Amino acid sequence: MIRARIALLLALVSGLLSSCYGTVGVVSDVDDGYYPPAAYVATTAPVYYDGYPTYWYGGRWYRRDHRGWQAYRQEPQHLREHRARGVPPRQLYGRGHGEGHHRW
Amino acid sequence: MRTRVVTRFGCIAGVVFSLAAAGAEPVDDDQPTAELKEHHRHHQHGGISQFVELGLDTLGEDEAERPKVEKLHAELHACTEPIEEKEASALLVLAEGVASGAVDPSKVEAAIAQLAPAGASIHDCVAGRLNQLHAALSPVERLALADKVQAHWAVWRAVNVDAVPGGKEPGGRLSELAKELSLKPEQVAKASVSLQASVPGSSAQLDAQKVEALVQRFATAFSGATFDATSVTTNTTASLSVYGTRQTAQFYQTVAPLLTPEQRATLASHLREHAQHHPTAPEGGSR
Repeated sequence: MIRARIALLLALVSGLLSSCYGTVGVVSDVDDGYYPPAAYVATTAPVYYDGYPTYWYGGRWYRRDHRGWQAYRQEPQHLREHRARGVPPRQLYGRGHGEGHHRW
Repeated sequence: MRTRVVTRFGCIAGVVFSLAAAGAEPVDDDQPTAELKEHHRHHQHGGISQFVELGLDTLGEDEAERPKVEKLHAELHACTEPIEEKEASALLVLAEGVASGAVDPSKVEAAIAQLAPAGASIHDCVAGRLNQLHAALSPVERLALADKVQAHWAVWRAVNVDAVPGGKEPGGRLSELAKELSLKPEQVAKASVSLQASVPGSSAQLDAQKVEALVQRFATAFSGATFDATSVTTNTTASLSVYGTRQTAQFYQTVAPLLTPEQRATLASHLREHAQHHPTAPEGGSR
């Protein structure tokens, strides 16, 4: 939980600095070990952007490439518009949920 | 002037985005995660092909290709039905044993013995559908599906291989059973000790590193521009199915005698539900 809060605080500071001083890249390496866990990727539909599946997790957009997980330092307009329409519901696999729940 | 306005807009947008980020609390063990773990603890059939099926559930939107992928999903599921049925039979044997208070190991082993031949029989059927699926998906969807296969394997491994028998960690098998059946603390303590003492036989071992390498190899191949499933045949179905079902059996075999009649009845009912539950079956597809 503390790590999550630190990551979110870093996101806040990063967002402030990047947008106010204009020293941003599109994505940054995730070096704090905070990124979508396997169970999240397995149960969440991605949004396809810039040639990658991206996931909205913990208040940031993430994608994975050959370097590993990357986080968007600024929210791209396409992803912001997508998020404004609502993030996809997560897939449920429990006994109480039937076949094909929340598919596609 | 215009530059200043744009800069200020960017600054405000950054603040808004950052505040939105700060306000969204990530959850690492929420309901979807708990249900996925429950699923992977009880449904072992299919190996990588099952992970592909599950991955298709959340591939995302491409309405144009959807009917084609839905059809392949249904066909892929039909390929794995023989082993799914055997797995359901094993769960029903466990349910019967739990209900009576003592799981018969010989009946369980007889049911498990049918898994490997059923698993070995599905490869030709699966390979053809995987090739067609690869052709039907865009490059970025292939990438997403490869990620999801690896993600499902990671969760499967965590709950079936890496979890310590008798561990009482939140979200673990014993903790979830305690919630499911309202176990008393002394029941949990006894179950934990018994599970730690239960040593699976040598045939219950799984070379997780080897499977990890196979999953990685499959994911890399499937992400590529060309793909031939027969060249990355993983043969993971039988090994994962046998190993996972045996872990499940060992767990319920150990805890069943520690439960009250009411708890046993509830658990048996839940196991029967698992036997009937086919969450990877596409809508309108074969069951």
